[in-house]
Amino acid sequence: MITIQNLVGGYTHSPIIKGLDLEIKKGEFFALLGPNGSGKTTLFKLITGQLPINSGKVSICGKEISSLSKLEKAKKMAVLTQEVQVSFDYTVEEIISLGRYPHQKGIFKQLSKEDRKVIEEVMEITQIRDFRKTQFRLISGGEKQRVLLAKALAQEPEILLLDEPTNHLDIKHTFQMLNLLKERQQTTGLTIFAILHDLNVASLYADRIALLHNGSFLEVGDVDLLRKEDQLKKVYEVRVKAQSHPTIPKPQLLMTPNYSTSSQSFNFEDSYKMKQTEEHIHIQFDHSLRTISNMVIGAGIQWLKHFCHFYVAENDQGSGPEGDLHQLMAKYSIPHEQAAGTMTAAKPEDMVMVTKEIENIQMMAIVTGGVGKTINIMLFIDAHFTDGALVDGYMAATEAKVKALQNFNVVDSHTSIDTLLLALTQQGAKISCAGSGTAVGKGIGQMVYSAIKEAFSKYEERVSISLYRE
Amino acid sequence: MRNLSIRKFISNKIGWLYILSGGLLLGISLLGLFYSSVPVPVPTILHIILEKTLTMGWLDEVAKNEEMIIWNIRLPRVLLAFCIGASLALAGAAFQGLLRNPLADPYTIGVSSGASLGAVLVLFFQVTIVGLGSFTLPVVAILFGLISLLIVFGLVRLSSKSLAIETIILAGIIVSAFIGSLVSLIISLSDRESMTQIIYWLYGSVGMRGWSHIQLILPFMLIGSFIVIYHYRELNALALGEDTADHIGVDVKKGKTFILIGASLLTGAAVAVSGSIGFVGLVIPHLVRLVTGPNHRHVLPLSMLIGGAFLILADLMSRTIIAPKELPIGVITALIGAPVFALLLIRERLGRGTNK
Repeated sequence: MITIQNLVGGYTHSPIIKGLDLEIKKGEFFALLGPNGSGKTTLFKLITGQLPINSGKVSICGKEISSLSKLEKAKKMAVLTQEVQVSFDYTVEEIISLGRYPHQKGIFKQLSKEDRKVIEEVMEITQIRDFRKTQFRLISGGEKQRVLLAKALAQEPEILLLDEPTNHLDIKHTFQMLNLLKERQQTTGLTIFAILHDLNVASLYADRIALLHNGSFLEVGDVDLLRKEDQLKKVYEVRVKAQSHPTIPKPQLLMTPNYSTSSQSFNFEDSYKMKQTEEHIHIQFDHSLRTISNMVIGAGIQWLKHFCHFYVAENDQGSGPEGDLHQLMAKYSIPHEQAAGTMTAAKPEDMVMVTKEIENIQMMAIVTGGVGKTINIMLFIDAHFTDGALVDGYMAATEAKVKALQNFNVVDSHTSIDTLLLALTQQGAKISCAGSGTAVGKGIGQMVYSAIKEAFSKYEERVSISLYRE
Repeated sequence: MRNLSIRKFISNKIGWLYILSGGLLLGISLLGLFYSSVPVPVPTILHIILEKTLTMGWLDEVAKNEEMIIWNIRLPRVLLAFCIGASLALAGAAFQGLLRNPLADPYTIGVSSGASLGAVLVLFFQVTIVGLGSFTLPVVAILFGLISLLIVFGLVRLSSKSLAIETIILAGIIVSAFIGSLVSLIISLSDRESMTQIIYWLYGSVGMRGWSHIQLILPFMLIGSFIVIYHYRELNALALGEDTADHIGVDVKKGKTFILIGASLLTGAAVAVSGSIGFVGLVIPHLVRLVTGPNHRHVLPLSMLIGGAFLILADLMSRTIIAPKELPIGVITALIGAPVFALLLIRERLGRGTNK
């Protein structure tokens, strides 16, 4: 659709674009990325023909751009830039009808039936019919951008060129705009070439990307190129961490600021408060802890402050445990967005708390459960684990639990609803390996084993006492 | 089918506006023909005009002097006023659209002063360019108008890269002031008789010009109006800015050049036959835009109709207020135009304030 061959151009003395080759296929959404000053806009203007080409070729649909007349170009290619200033009080509909300019024929070039049909259509698509008679000046920024998109679509182009089309827009209007564009691309095979600022947005919507740096491409290809953290760090000079989007298989980038969030180290033992009632156990930390867990709320890898178990009678577990938990947390004013929590048939009074220092690392284990009941383990560690070490630690804890259950001959295990949480203060030297073979891993195993052991004996003690009383 | 399309035309607002403006123009024209020191009854006026143009008169006897007054003095005067008003209003609308600025008009951007200088030079030296004959005056005026426009744009280019609105007006004022001093120089060098002639000419008048002046302005007015109205879509597109206009396929450079030439033709020709008449080009398009909206498809023709009607009315006032003496028509247009424009500006400010 768009072919760029050995393109050099920009301002006369020192060309900003230094020899680019690019092939944009029909019907793809191509995003051009790069920091300010990398030459994105210059390349854009070389394609639209606003800047002269020094050497090389740009062709659209197989024809060289310089051989096309302005009208021919406008029929094939529409442009949407950042918000434009419109002088005089034109209505929305009048602005959109300007998009029919390249298609109008005859001496006085009035709007034909066909023109009106297209205008109605694009207003429908962009959902701006309701304010077609409103003055452009009076509508909001998001609506303005939609009107300009409608104007571009009214050109019935094969290629849409976008120069940071969502620059001034809030999240709602950004996604509205991009969803609309993506929908057009998928249903009508529109080719989209866009300069985008936001790497994460580009990753979600683009089929392919190019990373421009100092006038040449560092990378051209799939959005998974955004996983190359070092490359991005070099270009943008910002510490970048690539992660996967939690629900769709696209990379998302997380930027790390230069200042540190917790400058002072804190004392582990003084950094939490614990509360226990007939119904619940609640441990609250002053700082957020890095956690990995399978609890109903706060599952996965997170940063959390509140950790709790709620007691419910065994046959009283509601249909929606998440909603019930939200209610329970609200009752004790625990913010569920910052909490990990679960419901259990194990009574809070059976709770066991074990604290120990292993290899100069403070650890605390809290276990509720009993023989033949669910076992809920929360393990707090004053150390700094990488994500890999978190998983290692989780395995080590599980191995220790299994060993304990075997040793106490508990066969009827409730593992389907057992929970385990590992929470780390992320203080001190970074530990990247915490399997059961390492000192830390061994420590985790010991904590879990001894806590379970204690919990079982406490439970059996209570049960036998109550039996004795009966 | 034809009836249907006519009904449709009448049913929409724009259609009515054309009918109304046309009616207004006709009414004011008749008033201009009728109202004077020697009143001639309207049927007689109509008879004379129809008799002369289509030989379709129905009255048996019309006094020779009445026929003389209507056909040789008043009708050309009214027609000339119409041509000048229409030309200036259309030129104003074109400049405003092109520069995306409601303050632009042939006066504020210096075209009128340039044209005046050209005309004054021709009047002072009594020159005729071979082959042009009596067309020397409008042609020179148009050329000087274009040259001063180029100087203004050159100044703007040198001082700032964009065609910033304030810069254009500022450059227009600078060029106008300079040209004004040149005109003053010529006046001070001339003898007493031509001095009064030039000064009175500069104030602007449509009286005592006859059919020859209509012949002078008409070809330029027709060509200029055609060029400007033909480019109405380009004017609309330019409201989005030159880059965006380029993106929808407008050849911005070509369009701008044509519109500037068309508007200069209109201004130069108008100034050549009538002298300096201000505010028509500024106020009329503004008023029209308030009623029709900014679409140049309607703003341009309606500005012509209303501008023409306005100038006929202004001429009528100029010759009746202190009759039998005449006021310069430029004084009347400024006396009406300036306060109206001030009101429009204030209204716009207030309107924007409440809208936001």
